[in-house]
Amino acid sequence: MTKPPRVWVSNAKPAKGEIVRVRAQIEHSMESGLRTDPAGHLRPRNIIRKFEARLGQNLLFAWEPGISIAQNPYIEFTFAARESGDLVMVWTEEKDALLEARKAITVS
Amino acid sequence: MKRRNFVAGSVALGAALAMSSGRAQAQSKPVLAGPLAPNPAEFRKAMNEFVGNATPVEAGLKLELPVLADNPGAVPVHAKVTLPITESQYCKELIVLAELNPSPLACRFRFSPATGTAEAAVRLRLSQTQTIHALARMSDGKVLIAKQTVTVAASGCGM
Repeated sequence: MTKPPRVWVSNAKPAKGEIVRVRAQIEHSMESGLRTDPAGHLRPRNIIRKFEARLGQNLLFAWEPGISIAQNPYIEFTFAARESGDLVMVWTEEKDALLEARKAITVS
Repeated sequence: MKRRNFVAGSVALGAALAMSSGRAQAQSKPVLAGPLAPNPAEFRKAMNEFVGNATPVEAGLKLELPVLADNPGAVPVHAKVTLPITESQYCKELIVLAELNPSPLACRFRFSPATGTAEAAVRLRLSQTQTIHALARMSDGKVLIAKQTVTVAASGCGM
């Protein structure tokens, strides 16, 4: 978990009410807990279990992935731009290790 | 060998080959066992928990995914509520279910009135050919449902 998240925003300076699309991806193995190592032991489950996107005080979008999500989890969502602020995205791993990304959104 | 005999023989050989390959296909029909076995009990539980007492409506929710998943380790799935979204009527929750995966509840999305839309896309790994279901719950209690079958090429993803 060393590489920073890759984040794409369709428009960082949207008009009021415009729909903004966000795509984000991180590097993570999303170990399902079903695979075995060469010695036959189960590899312990280790997945991203929560993703949250906030703008100011408002929670825009929350995602709870399960073990069926592909590795290097990719997430795409949209929201209607109503106020300016930092779009803060937080990934929570099983062991509570955090990864965070920020994008400034300026509503004109 | 006379030509007639040869032709008849090759036809018989072809038929035999076709039959044996047909049998081989029938035998190799994947019945996944072990850690990748499907979990129908959990699928029904997740479905019933989400639907509750509501009657699911097959409209207003768009589910997009490929018909043939050439890479079962990352199948793009896109879900969008097409009903008009307002401050008073918005989508609260959306789930994606992979019917025959060992863990059928693939993921859950939550939205708020501040979102103003209800749309998300992810990539799933699928253990075998199956139906993907998407369910959305609106703030007025209405439940929307959409589903699509996807054919998984190769031998599944190994999760």
